[in-house]
Amino acid sequence: MLPVRRTDPAHDTALQTVLDRLTGGLQGGQDTPDGWITARRVLPARAARYAPFPAGLDESVRDVLRARGIDQLYAHQALAVAHALERRHVIITTPTASGKTLCYNAPVLSAIRRDPSARALYLFPTKALAQDQLAELHALAELLSPDTDGIGVFTYDGDTPQDARRAIRGRAHVVLSNPDMLHSGVLPHHPRWAKLFDNLRYVVIDELHAYRGVFGSHLTNVLRRLRRICRHYGSSPTFICSSATIANPRELAEALVEEPFELVSENGAPCGEKAFLFVNPPVVNRQLGIRRSYLAETRRVAGEFLKRGLQLIVFAQSRLATEILTTYLKDDFEGPAGARERIRGYRGGYLPQRRREIERELREGSVRAVVSTSALELGIDIGALDVCVLAGYPGTIAATWQRAGRAGRRSGRSAAVLVASSAPIDQFVVRHPAYFFDASPEHALINPDNLHILVDHVKCAAFELPFTASEPYGRHDVQEVLGVLAEHGLVHRTGDADGTWQWTSESYPADAVSLRSISSDNFVVVDTTRGSDVIGETSFTSGPATLHDKAIYLVEGRLYQVERLDFEGRKAFVREIDCDYYTDAITYTKVQVLETCEAPDAPDAADPATTASHGEVHVSSRVVGFKKIKFYTNENVGSGELDLPEQQMHTTAYWLTVPLGVMAALPYAADDRRDGIVGLSFAMRQVAQLLLMCDRHDIGISVEAGSDAETHMQEPRVFIYDNYPGGIGFSAPLYAMHADLIARTRGLIAGCACEHGCPTCVGPVGNTGPLAKTVAMRILDLLGTTTAEQLSA
Amino acid sequence: MSTLAERLRGVVRSGGSASPGPPCVPVRRPGAAEAEEGPDPAGGLAALLDGEWRESSGQRYLVIDRTYPPGHRHGRIAVADAAPGGEGGWPVLSVVAAGVGPGRMLFFDLETTGLAGGAGTCAFLVGCGWFDGPAFRIRQFLLARYGAERGLLDEVAALARGAGAVATYNGKTFDLPLIETRFLFHRMDTPFAGMPHVDMLHVARRLWSGGLEPTGADTATSCRLAEIEQSVLGHVRAGDVPGCEIPSRYFQYVRSGDGRPLAAVLEHNRLDLLSLALLTARTAGLLDGGAEAAGSAREALGLGRLYRRDGRAREAEASFARAAAMTSEADAQTAAAAWHAYATSLRHARRYEEAAAAWSRVMGLRACPPRLAQEASEALAVHHEHRDINLRRARDLARQALELTGSPGRAHAVRRRLARLERRLAAADLF
Repeated sequence: MLPVRRTDPAHDTALQTVLDRLTGGLQGGQDTPDGWITARRVLPARAARYAPFPAGLDESVRDVLRARGIDQLYAHQALAVAHALERRHVIITTPTASGKTLCYNAPVLSAIRRDPSARALYLFPTKALAQDQLAELHALAELLSPDTDGIGVFTYDGDTPQDARRAIRGRAHVVLSNPDMLHSGVLPHHPRWAKLFDNLRYVVIDELHAYRGVFGSHLTNVLRRLRRICRHYGSSPTFICSSATIANPRELAEALVEEPFELVSENGAPCGEKAFLFVNPPVVNRQLGIRRSYLAETRRVAGEFLKRGLQLIVFAQSRLATEILTTYLKDDFEGPAGARERIRGYRGGYLPQRRREIERELREGSVRAVVSTSALELGIDIGALDVCVLAGYPGTIAATWQRAGRAGRRSGRSAAVLVASSAPIDQFVVRHPAYFFDASPEHALINPDNLHILVDHVKCAAFELPFTASEPYGRHDVQEVLGVLAEHGLVHRTGDADGTWQWTSESYPADAVSLRSISSDNFVVVDTTRGSDVIGETSFTSGPATLHDKAIYLVEGRLYQVERLDFEGRKAFVREIDCDYYTDAITYTKVQVLETCEAPDAPDAADPATTASHGEVHVSSRVVGFKKIKFYTNENVGSGELDLPEQQMHTTAYWLTVPLGVMAALPYAADDRRDGIVGLSFAMRQVAQLLLMCDRHDIGISVEAGSDAETHMQEPRVFIYDNYPGGIGFSAPLYAMHADLIARTRGLIAGCACEHGCPTCVGPVGNTGPLAKTVAMRILDLLGTTTAEQLSA
Repeated sequence: MSTLAERLRGVVRSGGSASPGPPCVPVRRPGAAEAEEGPDPAGGLAALLDGEWRESSGQRYLVIDRTYPPGHRHGRIAVADAAPGGEGGWPVLSVVAAGVGPGRMLFFDLETTGLAGGAGTCAFLVGCGWFDGPAFRIRQFLLARYGAERGLLDEVAALARGAGAVATYNGKTFDLPLIETRFLFHRMDTPFAGMPHVDMLHVARRLWSGGLEPTGADTATSCRLAEIEQSVLGHVRAGDVPGCEIPSRYFQYVRSGDGRPLAAVLEHNRLDLLSLALLTARTAGLLDGGAEAAGSAREALGLGRLYRRDGRAREAEASFARAAAMTSEADAQTAAAAWHAYATSLRHARRYEEAAAAWSRVMGLRACPPRLAQEASEALAVHHEHRDINLRRARDLARQALELTGSPGRAHAVRRRLARLERRLAAADLF
C-alpha cells in the first residue's frame, strides 16, 4: 500500500559519491571515536518474503487488496493478520514503511464484512496520527461497501463537534481516537456507547512504544477500565498492537494489556542497502571541550546530499533548531523568489492544511528537503526518501532507528547520518558506536500500580461501574483502595450481602486525571506582553525550577522572562524579551532513605554489586537560586537568589554508596573529593537517562557528600531518583543495570577529550572544581578494580 | 514502613483535585450522632417521608404521592385556575414546542448525585407531576438503594408512556439526557424518545428574564426557577434547600441510613414541579389570550418573540405593539427593545411609514442603548433615502449612525451609504 518507486542507478551512484566524499574513503566496520566520522556501517539489502492471504480473510477484503495491486502479503503481514483473525492478541514490531497498517486494517474490515455489528477501536498517541489513518481506512471501507450506509469510519476526539458525536456513536464501525479521549470522553459515558462495547471485536493500539513511563502506566489503567466495561457488556476484544523496535515489545504489550501476546517481528518487506554514518563536529576549544556547532555541521552534510539531487529529511531536536536549519538550507538551496519551494520546515505548530501540502509535495518529489521535529517520526505517509540526517541524537535507540527508517527504499540504496551535538548523551553515543549498533534498543518501562496513578483510575472505574466485593483490579488489593476512598466519602459500600461499591461524589473523576503526568496540579504560563494569554503549562514538580522569578521561558524559539510567579495561584506571568541567555535553576535536594529493598550488608568495593541499593525515599527539594547561561557558548553570565517553598515527595531511588575505604584511598583534599563525587553524579545521570530510555526530567539526582572523614565517617551517596511521586519504576531496573551504569559512566568520562571537565562528562569547570574529572575517574577505578584487601592494606 | 492503607491515605489526601470540592455545608461523616435512627431505618424512611415501599427483584425504592387540591394556592395562583381540563394538556403550547397536542402534560424534574453527567451520576429522586382534573398530583420515586434503580426506572417509564408531552426546566441539557443515560445504563428504552418537550427555561428566558418590575435600574438577568416563581407567581420559598447541598444530603442518607436530611429535598422537588406546572399554565394562558393577556410590557415583548420564533408574524406584531404601548420611560431598555421589535415587524410587513414612525420612537427614547439607536438611525436613513426621498435628512441620520457604530463591518457599510448620499446631494445641488 506504499508507492513503489523505480530503481534509479543514477541515485545510487550519487549517494555513493557523497558518502565517499564525507568519509574520505573510510570503509564500514572500523570505528574511529576521535575522528570527524566516528563510524560507518552498511546495513545489507534484504529481499522480500511473501505469504498468501491467510485462510480466514474475507474474500471481499482480498478483492479490494488485489484491486490495489496486492496479490499476496509480506510474511509478517500474513502472520499478524492470521493471529488477529484467530482472535489472538498480537504485537507487530517492524520498521517504518513495512506496511503495518494492513496488519490491523485487514482483519478489522474482514470481521466487519462478515458481521456488520462488529466494532473496532483504534488508539493513536496523537490526534494527527488518527487523522492520517482516517483517509486510508476510509478509502478501503469505501471500496469494500460503496453504499452510503456501508462501513462507518470516524475519528472521535476533542475536536469532534458536539452535534456530530451522537451520530458517530450510532454509526461508527471503526472509531479512531486517542487514550485521553477514551479516558475522559468515552469510558465515563459508556451507556451511550453501548453499541460499541456490545460488539467490540478489535482494539488497535498503534505506536505502542510511545506508552512508556507515566503515559504507559496510565494507559494500562485506562485499558483495565476498558476491559472491565467490555466484560460488563459481554465482549472480549482482541488487541492488535504495533510498535517501533524496542527491546521488549511483547513484555510492554503484555504489561499494558495484561494478557499474553503473540509477537511478530520478522520483517518480510524488502529494503535496499543502507549506509549509516556518525559525525562528530570537530573540537574548537579543547580546554573547555567546545565543539563546532552541530547545526552548522548538519547544514554542511545536508548540503552535500542536496547538491547531488538526493531527496532528504533532516530531524532536529527542537522547534528552534528546526527553524534555524530550515533557514540555513533555504538560504543555500532555494531558487529565486516565487519559484516552487524546494526546502520546507515541518513541526507541530503548523496548520494541518500546510502539513498535508508538505507531505504531498514530499511524496511527489517537488520538495527536496524537509526539516522536521519528531512530528514526522510517527507513521505519517511521506513516501520513502534517499537520506535522513539527524541533527542531534534523538535520545533513544528506538527513536533513532525509527527516524532513520524515513530514508530507505524497497530497492536501491539509502543513507542515514547522525550529527552529534555536544550534549553528553550525543557524545557518548557517537563515541561508542557499538552501543548503538550492537546493543539491544531500550526497554520501555511502566509501573501501572504506582499508587498515585492507581488510585486515580480506581476512582474513574468506580464512577463507571460499581466495584463488586470480589472484583480484582491491578496488583494491589482494590478492596483496600476502595476502603480508603470510602473513608473520604468518595465511594460507599452498600449494605447488601453481595455489597457493591457505589460512587458517592458529585465529581467527575476523569476530569481531574491527566494521562500525560502523575499529578494534575500544574502551573500555567500567562504572557502579559499583549493582554494576558496562556501560552503554556508546566507540571507542579517542575514549576519552581522553570518558572521562578526572572527565569527565561522558551516557547517555539521565543524567549519570555518570568516577571512574577504566583505560587499559590499556580500562575507565572511572563513577558516577551530579547536576550542571549537562558536560566538554569539551582535546586537543593535532600534525599532521605525510608526503606531499602535490596542492598549490601556493608558496601564493599571488592564486589561492585555491594555498592548499589534501591528502595523508597523521601525527597525534599527547594529552588534556591539560578544561573544565567549564554546561548551557544554556555558561559555563566550571572546569577540570582530565590526563596521558594520546599517541595516534598515520596518516591523510589537507586543509589550508589562509595565505601569509606575508597574515599580514604583518594590522595586528594576533602573539597576535591567532594567535587569528584559531584562530577561523578553528573556523568551518572547522563548514562542513567540513556539506559532507562527516559526524558531528562524523568529522573532527579542528589548527592550526599558524606562528612569529613575525620569526624563522622559517613559514606558519600549518589541518588538517582524517580522524579514522580510514588515512582514509575525506574529504580529497580537501574539497580539491575548497576554494573553497566558504572562501566558506561567510566567510558563516558575516560573518552572525553576535555582537560578538567566539560558539560559532556562531569559538568563544566565552573560548576565543579578543577580536579572533579580526575577524582571521579579515580573513584570509578577504585570501585571497579580495587579489592577489599588492597584497600585495607 | 507504612502499610498499604496508610500509604493510600497519604495518596488520597494529597490527590486534591479529584476528591470532591468543599460542599456548601459540612457533610456529616458516617457514624455521626444521628445514625442511631431506629432498628429499622428503612421502615422508618417510609413513615418519615410519608411514602410507600415498592419492591423489584428484591430491591426496594420509595414512592411518595401528593395531591394538591383545586383550592391550593401557590403564590398568587390557585391550582384549579391553572388546570388545563380535558386530557390534562394544552395544544396551544405547540407554539413553543412542535408536536404538543391535547394529551396529558407530564412535569418532570430530577434530583441527582451531581451535575457532571456520565455513568456515575445518578438520579436519586425522579419527580413527576400532572393535572388530574382540577387537582395537581405529584409522584416521586426515591432510590433508597442503588440496586433498585432498574425497577424504579421501569415504573417511571410506565408513568411517562401515558403522557402526550413532557415539560421540564432546563431538561433539554440536563434532566432528559441524564435520565436517558440511566435507561441506557440498564439497557432499557427511554420513554422520552420522540416525545414533544417543552423546556420552560427557554420559554421563561423569553417571557420573563431580567425581572418583571420596571425598576429602571439594571435588573438581574437570572433565570433561576426560584426567582421566576417569585416574580411571576408571587411565591416565596422559606427554608428551601440550596441546590448545591442536595447531592451531599443524599450521600449522607446513603451512608447513615438516616432519611431526615431528605425531607427538605423532597419538598424542594415538589415545589419545583408545582412552579413548573403553574408557569407552563401561565404560558399556555398567554398564548391562548394573545397580546391582550400580557400583564406587562416585558411579558408582551416576550410573547411576541415566542410568536415570531414560531413564524406567526401577525400575532407577533400585535404583541410587540402592545408591548410598545405598555412601556414607560422608566424602563428604557424594555421600551427600546419593544419599539425596536415593533418597528422590525412592521418593516417585514412592508408597512414602511408606520415602521419609520416606530424607528423614530426608538431614537427618541432617553437612554436608548447605542446599538439599537444605531440600527434605528440606519433604518431611518434607508427610509429617507429610498422611500420618503429626503436626502439631507438621510445624510444626517447616516452620520448619526456612523457615530454610534461599534463594529468595523457595519461602519464600512454606513460609510458607503454616506458617500453615496453626499454624491447624490452634490449632484442635486448642481441642478
